[in-house]
Amino acid sequence: MTRVLVVDDAATVRLYHTSLLQEAGFEVAEAANGLEAVEAAMTTPFDLFVVDVNMPKMNGYACVETLRSETVGTAAPVLMISTEDRPGDADRAYQAGANLYLVKPVAAERLVRVATMLTAGKDPEA
Amino acid sequence: MPQLLDTDELIRRLDDPDPERRREAALELAGTPEAVPELLARVGLETEPRVRDAVLTTLAGHDSEAVAAGLAVHLASDEAGLRTAVAEALATMPGSVPSLLPNLLAAPDHDVRVMTAMVLADLPHPEAKSWLVRMITDDPHPNVVTAAIDALLPAASAEHIGVLEAAVLRFPDDPFLTFTVRAALPRLSGTA
Repeated sequence: MTRVLVVDDAATVRLYHTSLLQEAGFEVAEAANGLEAVEAAMTTPFDLFVVDVNMPKMNGYACVETLRSETVGTAAPVLMISTEDRPGDADRAYQAGANLYLVKPVAAERLVRVATMLTAGKDPEA
Repeated sequence: MPQLLDTDELIRRLDDPDPERRREAALELAGTPEAVPELLARVGLETEPRVRDAVLTTLAGHDSEAVAAGLAVHLASDEAGLRTAVAEALATMPGSVPSLLPNLLAAPDHDVRVMTAMVLADLPHPEAKSWLVRMITDDPHPNVVTAAIDALLPAASAEHIGVLEAAVLRFPDDPFLTFTVRAALPRLSGTA
């Protein structure tokens, strides 16, 4: 089964994303901030990371940079989802190592479609 | 035994090339009002997270309106680490943050209002829930309303059911907001 780690400090967002992805057949684990995500990734292999930007302890960009660093070294796709839609936010996400940056709210169908395509190695925006 | 440094020397050390010396200086400036302007100036300049956290910890200890206002400008920062660190610091300043709320709740940038909900989520103030209810009731942006709902839910009770249901009616096309409220209602109504 495809394993996804949902990373968000908002419990309601985690619940929402987890519910959608579980209904679509993914196995989902949760982390409340970037630090928890990095710790989880060091002990468990994931096929996809769904990561928020604004989080305490370690924000989303730092989290993705750490996931891509030699310390963790995961090549699994990363989908960043944030309320931030300023110019440059998406560039910052891609510089950190994200595969796709979406602005909230993301429709349920789109989240599942993007997650499915990313974990299948396809470009979800093609 | 370490030699105690005077305030001027500690302020000079905020620019030391060694991050550890900068961090120590920031922490040792706790309770020193004359260092506040220098510390505020470093918030947006300091690049080491551990040093910035020390600066913010020392500043938050003052819990004055001037410090809170000086920090709140960074809620609009393009740097995620800075704006979240500032939100965490403001959440520990219940004495001064309330004076900023009229401006923060009316900020034209909805991302600033989202960050304000994050501050209120952890602010130990008796009116924090009331301000979150006001955001849920009045804010025109669904992301702000969902952020405020998320902040309110851990402390919400049956009295908030009407506010939450009204938010769903205001944003009927926002699936996340609808999901969040529907998931919370059974617990709030005692039918979970």
